[in-house]
Amino acid sequence: MNATALESQLIIGAILFALGVIGFLTRRNLILIMLSAELMLHGVSVNLTAFGKYHGNPQGQVFTIFVLTIAACEAGLALSLILTLYQRRKSLDVFLWGNLSEDDLPILSGDSPRSAMQPMTDPNANFPHLTPAGRAPLSPPRKT
Amino acid sequence: MNWSPENMQLLLPLCLGWLAVWSLLPREKPRGRILAGLTGVAAMLVLQATSLPPAGEIVRDAMFYVFAAVAVLCAGLMITDRNPLYAALWFALTTLAVCGLFLINSAPFLAAATIIVYAGAIVVTFLFVIMLAQQAGSADYDRQSCQPGIASLLSFVLLGILLFSLQEWGGINANTTDAARPGQFVSLPQGVQANILSQPPVSNPREIGSLRVLGRALFTDYLYSVELAGTVLLVATIGAIAIAPRRPQGHL
Amino acid sequence: MFDWLKPNDVLWLIPVAPLLACLWIVLVGQIVRRQQAHRPVILAFAVSFAAAVYLLTSVVPGGFGTAGEHGEHARASSAIMTTIYQWIHVGGLDVAVTLRADAMSALMLVMVTSVSLLVAIFASGYMKGDPGYPRFFASIALFVFSMCMLVLAGNFLLMFVFWEAVGLCSYLLIGFWFQKPSAAAAAKKAFVVNRIGDFGFLLGVFLIWTTFGTLDFEQLFGSPTLIQAAFLQDPTVLTTICLLLFVGAIGKSAQFPLHVWLPDAMEGPTPVSALIHAATMVTAGVYLVARCTPFFVYAPTAQMFVAGIGAATALIAAITALTQYDLKRVLAYSTVSQLGYMFMSLGAAGAGLDLATHAVTFAMFHMFTHAFFKAVLFLSAGSVMHSMGDVIDMRRFSGLRKVLPITHITFLAGALALAGFPLLSGFWSKDEILAVLFTASQTGEHADFYRIILGVALLTSLMTAFYTFRAYFMTFWGEERFPAEAGDHPHDAPPAMAGPLFILAAAALGVGLIAGPTHLYGHYLEQTPGLPEAHAHAPNVLMMGISTVLALVGIAAAYGLYVRSPGIAQALKRGSGPLHHLSHEGLQLDWLYLRLIVTPLRLIAQLAERFDRCIIDVIVDCVGFVPGLFGAVLRPIHNGFVQNYAVVMLLGLVLGLVSVLRAFAGQM
Repeated sequence: MNATALESQLIIGAILFALGVIGFLTRRNLILIMLSAELMLHGVSVNLTAFGKYHGNPQGQVFTIFVLTIAACEAGLALSLILTLYQRRKSLDVFLWGNLSEDDLPILSGDSPRSAMQPMTDPNANFPHLTPAGRAPLSPPRKT
Repeated sequence: MNWSPENMQLLLPLCLGWLAVWSLLPREKPRGRILAGLTGVAAMLVLQATSLPPAGEIVRDAMFYVFAAVAVLCAGLMITDRNPLYAALWFALTTLAVCGLFLINSAPFLAAATIIVYAGAIVVTFLFVIMLAQQAGSADYDRQSCQPGIASLLSFVLLGILLFSLQEWGGINANTTDAARPGQFVSLPQGVQANILSQPPVSNPREIGSLRVLGRALFTDYLYSVELAGTVLLVATIGAIAIAPRRPQGHL
Repeated sequence: MFDWLKPNDVLWLIPVAPLLACLWIVLVGQIVRRQQAHRPVILAFAVSFAAAVYLLTSVVPGGFGTAGEHGEHARASSAIMTTIYQWIHVGGLDVAVTLRADAMSALMLVMVTSVSLLVAIFASGYMKGDPGYPRFFASIALFVFSMCMLVLAGNFLLMFVFWEAVGLCSYLLIGFWFQKPSAAAAAKKAFVVNRIGDFGFLLGVFLIWTTFGTLDFEQLFGSPTLIQAAFLQDPTVLTTICLLLFVGAIGKSAQFPLHVWLPDAMEGPTPVSALIHAATMVTAGVYLVARCTPFFVYAPTAQMFVAGIGAATALIAAITALTQYDLKRVLAYSTVSQLGYMFMSLGAAGAGLDLATHAVTFAMFHMFTHAFFKAVLFLSAGSVMHSMGDVIDMRRFSGLRKVLPITHITFLAGALALAGFPLLSGFWSKDEILAVLFTASQTGEHADFYRIILGVALLTSLMTAFYTFRAYFMTFWGEERFPAEAGDHPHDAPPAMAGPLFILAAAALGVGLIAGPTHLYGHYLEQTPGLPEAHAHAPNVLMMGISTVLALVGIAAAYGLYVRSPGIAQALKRGSGPLHHLSHEGLQLDWLYLRLIVTPLRLIAQLAERFDRCIIDVIVDCVGFVPGLFGAVLRPIHNGFVQNYAVVMLLGLVLGLVSVLRAFAGQM
């Protein structure tokens, strides 16, 4: 394998990686975010196997096998977490999980409306509620 | 940094690609999907013309172009599709194309393993979860993307940097494999410390992808890592079962 | 006598005993035995008095009293000194806490401690039942400590410290009933006006330091060479020093223009008025000027200034006292007037060096007798107030002589002494002052000036007799009338109050007789180191006669106007309407000060407050606003969305890569 071919492979790997980054940063569906992460891993795998071929040793492939293994573990764990989150709010929207901020601030994420923050149905109807100390709850308790 | 004309040539496909991706990202009011698609294709063509010259062997080059194009196209479609189910399927196609690239890189076992594990198991799991967690109708959050401008811009800047550095200093001389040239910021690894079970370095380059070589490398040089990977898998399995919600708690 | 007991050993006892009493009350007496707080204080004062008497006998060793020729035996005493503590030792400044006693201080101490003791005994009866009983006695003890230290101070700086301390105690005691707004205001006024005088005093001390390089009395007054050298070098500096020191005396001794605090100081309890504003604190100014006689003899201009201020004060105060209705205010203005007398005498030394010692001696003699008869007058007024239910307006009661016999007798004794009735103490001291002034107006330089002073002194003594007996007749003669607060039957002074009254009345009557014509006092005081030699002094019969006539005329006029035909008094008052008003208001000086000084200061203070609030506070708020601004810009970045964070990570990664590339570009 000559350098040009290697370079072409690396370029493809970089493009796949960049597209994966875009997908990760842009999509609001939790599952699609994980899928974009997998896409990034694909780009890396292409890189690794290209280098393995170039240098003539199996190191690239070995590492790719590990990447594969870890990707599988990650996907399993991530999906069970996503399912747990889905069960809380009955929605796969990542915007619902932004509690680290302060309530009076607008969000800086482009053209996404704030109204998406409100869950369509009351997700916590089954669980008891506690008011945050000293403040009235944001959303009035809904009856289901 | 002095910009050579080759560097400038990179800008065109990058800009075209950015425009295409940015336009295609899901919005309430979609803007010119066909035009954006054509722009994307044009970007790929320009990129091929400038940076991806054919390497010599016609068959290999053709396969490379086909697989690469499919991979990039399907990846682009995956991130911009509004239906999550379709997006997962586009991902499966992308995986297949990447497996094709593996084949070109003399990694047939890896290609097969990837298809089985990734496209067969992981993507199917994703599809199951999508279908289970799907809400009636197209959801709000699938139709809109968040921070498309800055995300796509930064990613394409990153891509530009990667391509630029590949162009400038990634020039890897096929003659030497071990010694670093002045101008190379990639210093090649000296090789893993050999143990008594190590196999001698591969003589025939075509033998790289053989399972024998791969197996011996895995279980001699990387034995420790393999055992650890197995343990990680076990732990992940237990963890996934522990985290996943139980039936009495919710309606899943 | 007690050869084993040196005077040095007991010198410190005089101020320390009251200090210990004060500390005892402050630490323990507020809780334990509150109503017995007078006991440690009276005990301490008795100890101080005994020590002061001992000091009196030992400072001037026996044999000074040989009558006959003055000035022919050498000065038999020098000062007794004890250094307690080396206070400041910085560069060229060396100030120690030194107690120094000589003849002048010993006399002063006897006066201070005896009057304090009697007033403390009186106060234990007067203040009974007051919720602030222990605080009163603690303040009184602190005051006596400060006064004794002031008298015993061995250098100017120490004297200044205790000068301020007596001002502080005066503030504490005038404002004793601080819940009353008028009392609090009077205390503040006293302190602030005193402060003005203290500023002048301090400037004087600085000037002494820069001129002589030392502040110690022994070094300055022990030998005349130091002062003489300074005078030869620059004659005006001594005048300046004297004038500045006298400004301090103006403030402390309530001379014009700083006399406005003393009448208002009557808001304090009557024992306080008796002790501080009649006998002790206000005499500190006289003591200062007398102590600094070695300076003053080189500055006749300053002495003339002293005499002039004294005369002006005496006249203004006497005019004001003519129309007051508050008994204590009459006595307060009378005090101011008598202090003016003392300064007139002190200033008479400007007529010539040979007159200096006599002038000082008689000023201090008048101070000595004034302490006793003014104290008895104030304490009697206090007894009247006590019986009349805290009413002191003379228009509301009269004819008290049958109901309050003890008070009547003691008040009469004091009034006769004050008016200068022949053979009583006031007569002797006032007569000597008039004699000195007469001599100054006949001989020596500036005779015309002293003639005017003499005229003022005579006029004032007439007015003194008149207003004193006006007060006496208005209070004790006429038909019996009691105010409603007095209850059914006013009771006379209880034994605790009556005892000191009698003792002080006896002193008022007799002290002058004992110490005056026999020249005991004069001879004793002349032993003070630093005073120039004194010549023979014969009593001036002319002045004696004139002052007797004036006193009798004044008493008769008061009797006529207020006992025989009160209608004339009313008619006079109506007829001289604006004059009467002017006199009553103290010649409108308070009003003037308010307009000229207080209001502009208040305006400046308001301006400053507005500046502080609107400009400085705004600047500070703006400075505090800036972090908020930064926060408002930076806070929204942390919005809880993972993808935002991922974008920022990507941004960081891109920037990192760019910098790496540039580094590598540089390398190649």
